[in-house]
Amino acid sequence: MRKVALVGAGVGKFGVRKATYRDLIWEAGKACFDSVPALKPRDIEGLVVGSVMPERTAFQSHISSLAAEALGIRPSALSARTEHMCASGTVGLRYAYAFIAAGLADLVMVLGVEKLTQPTAEEAILNMGAGVDREWEAAFGLTAPPCFALAAQRHMARYGTTEEQLALVGVKNHTHAAKNPNAHFNKGATLDQVLCSRMISSPLRLFMCSPITDGAAAVIVAGEERARALTDTPVWIRGTGQALDGFQLTSLPEDYAHWPALERTAQRAYRMAGITPRDVDVAEVHDCFAIAELIAYEELGFCPKGEAGAFVAAGRSDYGGDVVVNPRGGLIGCGHPLGATGVAQAAEIFVQLRDEAGARQVPGASIGLTHNNSGMGEHVVMIYGREAP
Amino acid sequence: MSYFRAIDPFPLESPDWNKLGEFYARLGQGRLSTTRCAGCGRTAWPPRAFCPECCSDRFDWVDLPSEGTVHAFTVQETGLPAGFDGPRIFAIVKVHGHRVFSIIVEGDPGRITLGQRVSLKPLRIADDPKGNPRWLPAFTPV
Ligand SMILES: [Zn+2]
Repeated sequence: MRKVALVGAGVGKFGVRKATYRDLIWEAGKACFDSVPALKPRDIEGLVVGSVMPERTAFQSHISSLAAEALGIRPSALSARTEHMCASGTVGLRYAYAFIAAGLADLVMVLGVEKLTQPTAEEAILNMGAGVDREWEAAFGLTAPPCFALAAQRHMARYGTTEEQLALVGVKNHTHAAKNPNAHFNKGATLDQVLCSRMISSPLRLFMCSPITDGAAAVIVAGEERARALTDTPVWIRGTGQALDGFQLTSLPEDYAHWPALERTAQRAYRMAGITPRDVDVAEVHDCFAIAELIAYEELGFCPKGEAGAFVAAGRSDYGGDVVVNPRGGLIGCGHPLGATGVAQAAEIFVQLRDEAGARQVPGASIGLTHNNSGMGEHVVMIYGREAP
Repeated sequence: MSYFRAIDPFPLESPDWNKLGEFYARLGQGRLSTTRCAGCGRTAWPPRAFCPECCSDRFDWVDLPSEGTVHAFTVQETGLPAGFDGPRIFAIVKVHGHRVFSIIVEGDPGRITLGQRVSLKPLRIADDPKGNPRWLPAFTPV
């Protein structure tokens, strides 16, 4: 397989945006092309767009062609949309990686975009029900918060994880987001604010949850020769993995605090990258809810099973700790524009491994990891390095 | 015009449109049932018209007990979808070895506990577009 690297990345402003779906594509495209001045849209051979529900929110299908038109890209090797709920962006990146590694394309843009906040909050939430099984789950009014609440209930009962430890994830990620001008939230949060925020689905409170957000992000992926010609500091894809345990809540393992699919995915990606969890300097993990970040520490091997609460409380997932988790503010601080999230995670690792992250730079970061999931049963992991594989 | 009302959040339950129509017909009679594969004899939850073990598409209907225990639950207070009210008790109910996802109705959200016994309480929802009644399998504290 050919070696593959990120050579450019850009993120638009995340938030409740007074902007159309196409506006968001323009913003992310502009930011991404600005990061590689040597490239113009006409140079791009392939385009993959991660987007989950534009049919509902923008009454728009045929997404990759829409984005190609908006940015002036004329795909000659690959053009596709990935819809894979919350992990759509990273799944799109894996397609670009595979096409380039196989020699079927040399230069591919992966763009993630979602316009969620229209026309009303209640309807935006109704739309999110499309991500779970309509007949056996969404018909009851199920969306993501109660699913992850079941995991939190189990983790607290089995390991003694506390509400305060869950809240500390919210504090950390809101604090990180305050240094990210593209984040949905920029005010930070105190422990009291998180613990006193309103209950969404017990035991998860508002500041332990990612909000409904509009946003877009893009990266440019290249084969080795092209990457080296374009930049002195490409960010190499070193490993990747994806696994599914189940779609419905009732087909997942009985212990909702254990996510074997993530454990398997991570092991596969670590093996491919030739590294161990201790080598990871910076990680963007899928904190759609605070409990998800805690369980991710464990399944990714950052700490033993059951000890994630103590891990965050000791500051081991923050600056100065073992691994800086979610320096851009995570989904809790940045928001979670579904298809854009995985791409924005990759864009953060891109700037971190090039020492371009400014106020949120993780000093000396040379190995970065992203984790994107679609519910508790499906996980995707990417590992990046400053050094070529 | 209010376009979100054009979305029907509930399944098409009639046997004219759904291989699992018998499930809903029995549910309307107060019975909880599921499929047993006619090829290998495995019982599934939720019911299914294709068996991943033996690849058979033949199945029989079997009734399940109408009582179970709460395996996991959460009370959602806010952030519910349009058309659904809180507080809403979502639960995984253990019935005869199967985990059934459902809601608990007519229960005090503050008093639900793990392991609590609950019994089937079919929930009448909006009629289908042809005016046929529809039901979901909900539970209530014993
Ligand atoms: Zn069978």
